[in-house]
Amino acid sequence: MERSLSELEFEVDGQGLAKSYGALKAVDGVDLRLRRGGCFGILGPNGAGKTTTIKMLCGTVIPDAGFLRAFGLDVATEGRRVRERMGIVPQESTLDTDLTVYENLWVYAGYFGLSRRESLPRIEELLQFFHLREKWGSTIRTLSGGMKRRLLVARALIHRPRLLILDEPTTGLDPQARHLVWNRLRELRRQGLSILLTTHYMEEAAQLCDRVGVMDEGKFLVEGAPLDLVRERVGEEVIELRGSEADSLLRELDGLPFHPERVGDTLYLYCQRGSPVMDRLLQSGRRDFLRRPATLEDLFLRLTGRELRE
Amino acid sequence: MSEFLQHAPSHRAVRVWVRHLVMYRTWFVAEWAGSLTEHALYLLAFGYGLGHFVPDMGGMPYAQFIGPGLVVSIAMWSASYEATYGAYSRMRIQHTYEGMLSAPLTVGDVVLGDLLWCASRSLIGAVLMLIVLTAFGLVGSPWAVAVLPVVFIEGLMFAGLGLIATAIAPSYAFFNFHNSLIVMPMFFFAETFFPLQGLPPWMQAVSQAMPLTHAVVLSRGLIVHGQAPDAAWHLLMLSAFTLAFLAVACGLVGRRMLD
Repeated sequence: MERSLSELEFEVDGQGLAKSYGALKAVDGVDLRLRRGGCFGILGPNGAGKTTTIKMLCGTVIPDAGFLRAFGLDVATEGRRVRERMGIVPQESTLDTDLTVYENLWVYAGYFGLSRRESLPRIEELLQFFHLREKWGSTIRTLSGGMKRRLLVARALIHRPRLLILDEPTTGLDPQARHLVWNRLRELRRQGLSILLTTHYMEEAAQLCDRVGVMDEGKFLVEGAPLDLVRERVGEEVIELRGSEADSLLRELDGLPFHPERVGDTLYLYCQRGSPVMDRLLQSGRRDFLRRPATLEDLFLRLTGRELRE
Repeated sequence: MSEFLQHAPSHRAVRVWVRHLVMYRTWFVAEWAGSLTEHALYLLAFGYGLGHFVPDMGGMPYAQFIGPGLVVSIAMWSASYEATYGAYSRMRIQHTYEGMLSAPLTVGDVVLGDLLWCASRSLIGAVLMLIVLTAFGLVGSPWAVAVLPVVFIEGLMFAGLGLIATAIAPSYAFFNFHNSLIVMPMFFFAETFFPLQGLPPWMQAVSQAMPLTHAVVLSRGLIVHGQAPDAAWHLLMLSAFTLAFLAVACGLVGRRMLD
């Protein structure tokens, strides 16, 4: 069969993916594409359908509709071969708590058919890379959250996959541990690994991804390069004001190019860089505002709303 | 069809078995200290204690009568324990299965690996118990070792039965039912402690319907006399139960693990 251009260019190519649980449409018509060597981030609030989408690639969720290919292989019929080429880091630890750090890695290497001779140098290398060498003989229970997450990533890389899939890789980690994971992931990207991740930390997406898709209620709302999306959909700068005189202030600024949003006691003004809004505020003698660059978080909240998701 | 084959087992099931073996190294001594001691105590208390007052049972000393029953009973308990508490914690608590399925293993590999492991534990138990019987001079023929393939099939059978319970269990507490309503009655009424001849017909019928009975009859024949009466019939029954349990178990576990 002749291979199409998309098969060569995309590590992951999914179209029209859907999955329902009863009346709930967890994933509702999603196209998922990841370019070779790229890092794509699926952003979304809890329950948006991120994990379900990822699990379709892993083969544990079988889509009701759509088709999904990875590395040019059909996930529905060649799941084993697909999983041989990718590493999966789940949201909750699936480390073997009955085994030590080292045993976890070599037992897992066995699942990929690696012999002991092949896996030993690789394990050594990975423990080094993730700063886990001193812990090789420890049981999983004695590891900190950050160490467990690093070990999960190390385990997913044991067979030198082409694609790494991470489901909320740094949720629950302290800042030091989070930056170490990010640092290692960027290094892996430089080595040519493709990455697909889900997150609800916008900083994580900004740090790692060259493309993001914002997902809510089982659909992608927007998709593109993070900075472009923010600039197009939100603006370049945000001015935050707290206080009760918001209405009179809005009247003062009437006619200027900005987009206001009120949330509780805070007024957000989204505008382009160098906007006359700033000058007008300074002229009026106000100093109680915060001016900052627009971020993915602004985009995210604009798109998915500010009410709690539980 | 090719979607169905997605979940078929392969030689990689051996890697699942290896994982269980690695895990087991840490538990081995503590566990057999418990389980083997328990069964050795049955042998002493019933075989020699009660046997003092019951000199003859089914044409042999009482200890010799129950010894072979204890060999297949320890095998039943081992496989049942592993397929319920063990498999449940791997499936629901520790997410071990999930980890395996994110590697290139299939549901078939995971289930087959677990079944083989349960049967291996049955074998280990039976071998240890055979050694105990030999020490007490209760083994009548070198053909006693022929009980080991029987034990292996029996182990698969109780592994299948246990996995069915695991697939439908909402929590660990559910296994109390499995133990006291299914395993325990077999332990007592499958000709382990007394023969069926002369008992009310309904009791004989119930006992015949118990999978363990067929293993006990084979075990007693082989260990005491080196041959079992109606061996073909009992093997057939044992195999039929095994296949039925395995089929149901595979279906239920697959449904539990895949969305």
